[in-house]
Amino acid sequence: MSAVDGLGLVIFVGLAAYTVLGGADFGAGLWDLSRDRAQRDLVARAMAPVWEANHVWLIFVVITLFTGFPGAFGALSRALVAPVSVALLGIVLRGAAFVFRQYGAPYGGAPVRGTALWGRVFAISSLVTPFAFGTAAGALAAGTLRADGSAGLWSPFLAPLPLLAGLLAVTCCAYLAAVYLSRDAERIDSPALVARFRRRALGTGVVAGGLALAALPVLPPALGVELRGVGLPAVVVSAAGGVLGLVLLWRRRHRAARVAAACAPVGLLAGWALGVYPWVLPGQVLLAESAAPPVIAGPVLLVLLTGLAIVAPSYVFMLRVLRAGVD
Amino acid sequence: MIDDLTAAREQMELSLSFHIVFAVLGVGMPWLMLAAEWRGLRTGDPRWTALARRWSKAVAVLFAVGAVSGTVLSIEFGLLWPVFMARFGSAIGLSFTLESFAFFIEAIFLALYLYGWNRLSPRVHLLTAVPVALGGMASALFVTTANAWMNGPVGLVTGPKGDLVATEPLGPFLAPTADPQMVHMALAALMCTGLAVAAVYAFAMLRDPAKRDGYHRRGLAAGALLGLTCAPLQVLVGDWATRVVADVQPAKFAAMESLPETMDGAPFHAGPFEIPNALSLLLHFDPHARVVGMDAIPPPDRPPVAVVHWSFQLMAGIGTALLALAAWALWLYLRHRRATRAARAAVSGSGTGVLAGRTGGAVHPTDRRVFLLAMVAAGPAPFVALLAGWIVTEVGRQPWIVYRVMRVPEALTSQTGLATYLYATAVIYLVLAVALVAILRRIARGTTPPDPAPTTPVRDEVPA
Repeated sequence: MSAVDGLGLVIFVGLAAYTVLGGADFGAGLWDLSRDRAQRDLVARAMAPVWEANHVWLIFVVITLFTGFPGAFGALSRALVAPVSVALLGIVLRGAAFVFRQYGAPYGGAPVRGTALWGRVFAISSLVTPFAFGTAAGALAAGTLRADGSAGLWSPFLAPLPLLAGLLAVTCCAYLAAVYLSRDAERIDSPALVARFRRRALGTGVVAGGLALAALPVLPPALGVELRGVGLPAVVVSAAGGVLGLVLLWRRRHRAARVAAACAPVGLLAGWALGVYPWVLPGQVLLAESAAPPVIAGPVLLVLLTGLAIVAPSYVFMLRVLRAGVD
Repeated sequence: MIDDLTAAREQMELSLSFHIVFAVLGVGMPWLMLAAEWRGLRTGDPRWTALARRWSKAVAVLFAVGAVSGTVLSIEFGLLWPVFMARFGSAIGLSFTLESFAFFIEAIFLALYLYGWNRLSPRVHLLTAVPVALGGMASALFVTTANAWMNGPVGLVTGPKGDLVATEPLGPFLAPTADPQMVHMALAALMCTGLAVAAVYAFAMLRDPAKRDGYHRRGLAAGALLGLTCAPLQVLVGDWATRVVADVQPAKFAAMESLPETMDGAPFHAGPFEIPNALSLLLHFDPHARVVGMDAIPPPDRPPVAVVHWSFQLMAGIGTALLALAAWALWLYLRHRRATRAARAAVSGSGTGVLAGRTGGAVHPTDRRVFLLAMVAAGPAPFVALLAGWIVTEVGRQPWIVYRVMRVPEALTSQTGLATYLYATAVIYLVLAVALVAILRRIARGTTPPDPAPTTPVRDEVPA
């Protein structure tokens, strides 16, 4: 395996981490769209300490992509202007709105004017961002994009597969968040919230599975072949994770359900990546041909692996400290 | 509608300016927070701990806004300048890769710091601020090296297809302007933070004399100490940076000094004044040395002179003014300290020391209205200098995106209608800035710990 392959793998790991961790934060934002104060507080408690670190995975993926595969980054930037711009808008508004909402009344009392509005902006932008990223992934899989952006600004949004992928991404986020929040609700001993999020996790899980199945007939033939071939293990992991997650939820094993639930979107992502590989833009740009020269790729991979070896334990340490007990 | 190239450039300028203003606070504030919490732990003074807690709330908000606006930048590079990124993304990649890890560390430990007040021992909690401060500073410096590479690309060789290929992963760190740019940026971040914080407390003291208490004095002192200590250092580093630019980017230097012709014994401009031969003397320690002017640069490679020149003058002017402020503040402080010591000696010596009253040196600097006004004015000043400095760096590099390798128009995307993006970005950033300021003001309000009751007669409470 060359350094360039290693970089590709690191990008996939980053993407998977962002999908699960960042995705759960976006999903939590969706569940913030509620009149119930206790539910919104649980969302805020769960998200506040971790969302920024989770968000860095996106920056990590973008940076590793343009460092390791500058050609692919250039082509993707041109082909996906509309979905990426929409996602970017969502990211800015989501992050800013969340922190504005959190600190609108830092010492209690009446919050700064507009804080309630920021709460809504937070929830809505949490919906828009995963949808835009989903359509981008769907449009890549559909194979209709052009490396110079000539397929049209809005074309990534205007086909069945991208739209289905966008909805699937939103549902996956909602599902992941509901699973995690049901466990978080257990931790604060709130049976009402546990029951509510369990119900929602079951509901969104079924819908997500349905959407994934609905996408099968609209897949381009070449991608379908890949998914029955090299992509099969990924599809199996995704399906098994999805079913197991639902079973565990049904039996109220919320702790174990978290791991199974994460397998479903990661398997889906792996299937997508394997299906599109060796292309970045199917029929247009090959991943290997867009790579950085080995003299750059090698040292960068070394830095990436060293960095991940420092960051991963720090992240786990942070979770352990902040999850232990109640303050 | 403006054309796409202008729109793309303005959008970059807008996003960078927004990011840099809030990001420098995110870089500098953790150091103040760390210092205040450390003082609080060491002295047991609750006012320092209260400051640290207060500042940590501001850091939380600033960090979030800095993080998302930084994300915008990294993706915008591709959206606006895909040709630049496709060709040179890997050349500046290592800087950004390191930056992403610095950022990870900062985010993780900031979470521990913000939510760990009651979960970690005071000592461990203090320690979690160390990676936050280091990570924030490191990420700013790493990104600055990417800019340094654009100002002096190294490690490019002609590949088999005749195009330039990046071969040096450490290129951004080896760029000729990397070292002065990094130090200049680090000091700028600390100056901006320190003086902004000091201005907040100076403003509060001016509005409400009851706030001239220990809490606000400590806040002002910490900010002023950080900001004003950096001021003289920044003048030296600025001088160093200018010399390096004169060596490696003569076009930018000629624009900065507004030097139309190459000449021996070049004069130095300071605002409306012109000092004969001074530029040659400053640059080469020889009043008759030759300084390269704009006529040596081929016309298509010349940056716009007026913007670069006046931005440079503005930055240098503010730097000089802050140096003067630093000297004045130091003098006031020393005078006050000497007077208080003399008063204390008198009190303890005679028991009923007779003082000259609250005149002269005995007046605490924060009881001087003029000093407070100066500190308020000094709050926004380094930010203006910071933006002016970035204009010098960026506009002075024009017409190149990568100095002498790629011109800005070559890098532009083929996407049209970029003006729409510009207007949308402007509106969103304006709304965010307004909301952010409102929240920071709210954080600044709230109760503060009172001064402890005096046990022995000190300073102002000397019996008559």
